[in-house]
Amino acid sequence: MIHMNNVTKVYPNGSTGVENINLHINKGEFVFIVGSSGSGKSTLMKLLLKELDPTEGDIVINRVKTNELSRKQIPYLRRNLGVVFQDFRLLPNKTVYENVAFAMRVIEAPSRIIRRNVPAVLALVGLGKKGRSYPNQLSGGEQQRTALARAIVNNPPILICDEPTGNLDPETADGIMQLLDDINKRGTTIVMATHARDIVDAMQKRVVTLQNGHIVRDIEKGGYSDEA
Amino acid sequence: MRPSTIKYFVREGLSGLKKNLLMTMASMVAVAACISILSFSYCVGSNLQYMLNQMEDSIGISVFLKGELTGEQIENMKTEIGKIDHVESVEYISPTDALDELKQDWGADEDIFVGLDNENNPLSHSFQISLDSIENQNGVLTALENVDGVENVRHGQTETELLLKANRIFSVASVIVMLLLGVISVMIIMNTIRISVVNRRVEINIMKYVGATDWFIRWPFIIEGIIIGLVGAVVPLLLGFPIYAKVTSAIFQYLPVIKFIQFRLTGDVFGFLIPFGVIFGIGLGVIGSVTSIRKHLRV
Repeated sequence: MIHMNNVTKVYPNGSTGVENINLHINKGEFVFIVGSSGSGKSTLMKLLLKELDPTEGDIVINRVKTNELSRKQIPYLRRNLGVVFQDFRLLPNKTVYENVAFAMRVIEAPSRIIRRNVPAVLALVGLGKKGRSYPNQLSGGEQQRTALARAIVNNPPILICDEPTGNLDPETADGIMQLLDDINKRGTTIVMATHARDIVDAMQKRVVTLQNGHIVRDIEKGGYSDEA
Repeated sequence: MRPSTIKYFVREGLSGLKKNLLMTMASMVAVAACISILSFSYCVGSNLQYMLNQMEDSIGISVFLKGELTGEQIENMKTEIGKIDHVESVEYISPTDALDELKQDWGADEDIFVGLDNENNPLSHSFQISLDSIENQNGVLTALENVDGVENVRHGQTETELLLKANRIFSVASVIVMLLLGVISVMIIMNTIRISVVNRRVEINIMKYVGATDWFIRWPFIIEGIIIGLVGAVVPLLLGFPIYAKVTSAIFQYLPVIKFIQFRLTGDVFGFLIPFGVIFGIGLGVIGSVTSIRKHLRV
């Protein structure tokens, strides 16, 4: 599903984001990307989203070589990738329903399908009765659930989560992780960058550890720093 | 494109304008100023041209001949004058015809011509020359100087030269002012759209992540530009319509001196000006927004 072959990213100022990364993620996997600040997690996520292009190497997502995509083709790649951020990135002037519908509107989904899918996804993330609320009327967990609903409403095969629990208290974070686990069990591949040791330890999924832009550890099932 | 998508673009475009009302108004005023100048220039310019055309039709060159010429000499002169470049037609007017015409023109005051008849006619033989274009009058006048048997030449040179000059100066000045205002309008619109882009940067960012195409992101801003251009154009054009009708009729009423010329009809002037002005205004809006998006929206 995702293949990074000998990927290196050097920024214009000469600093190296990641170096010689080889990472292969299969369909339906749940992968944590862990590492300290500056280890290259953000660079890796940006490369997956094609916000950045690799200086060397290839990235293949869903059988598409992203290096070879023209600017016009990028939106179609991104329709295969749901994205969740630490800071939720909801539109404050739109209701929960509108925030989620927005993601469908943008890919020009028919209104009929929007009206059918948005309530279903809101129910799935536990916000069935919050459709008319505005983001500032929601708790942090509810806001992240809204962001999650927006990320999955177009049914992408891959979900990219950049520190999705970073702004949440442990209890709320557990709820979000439960939801992500459910989404993963429905067949969605999940790549999640995180600092949250407890969560990684509790989930016992594949863990890829980055350090100074290199993969220093990649274990099938484990915790944040087993054997490290 | 789905109707629901179009509706979405228009709604987003309108909401962008509302959020940024002051700059929106400034942009509309700038476009309105540009379209007003355009309309004013067109009204004055096209009327000057219209007057020139009327003069071309009505004022030709009158060539008066020396007294003692034979019919054959007159015929030769007619042929010679007919060969001058830009001369369209040459009509011979005998002293008798000229006297009849004069009497007719004076109508009720014909009495002053008592005693004048075919035997006692002070008028001379003449030619009435019409030209292909009034702008070529000077060349024809020079050529006429070389024709033997010409006593003198009368023409509307001063008036036509004045009108031609006025038309040229006016055309150049209005083009310059219009270009200047056009550039200012585009710059103000660019700034308005830029503010709108900045206001919506979070939204644009999310749109990019969920797979919106560049055009999907651009359209609401282009709609903003179109609305600014449309409103900026329609308002002065609708105001201009009755103003033109009032001004032309007032000129007729208070300046009877110029009754010999006619103004273009309001319907004719605005039949051209309204569609042209609207397209021009929308054009300014689209140029302003597209330039701004390209500059400020890395999509």
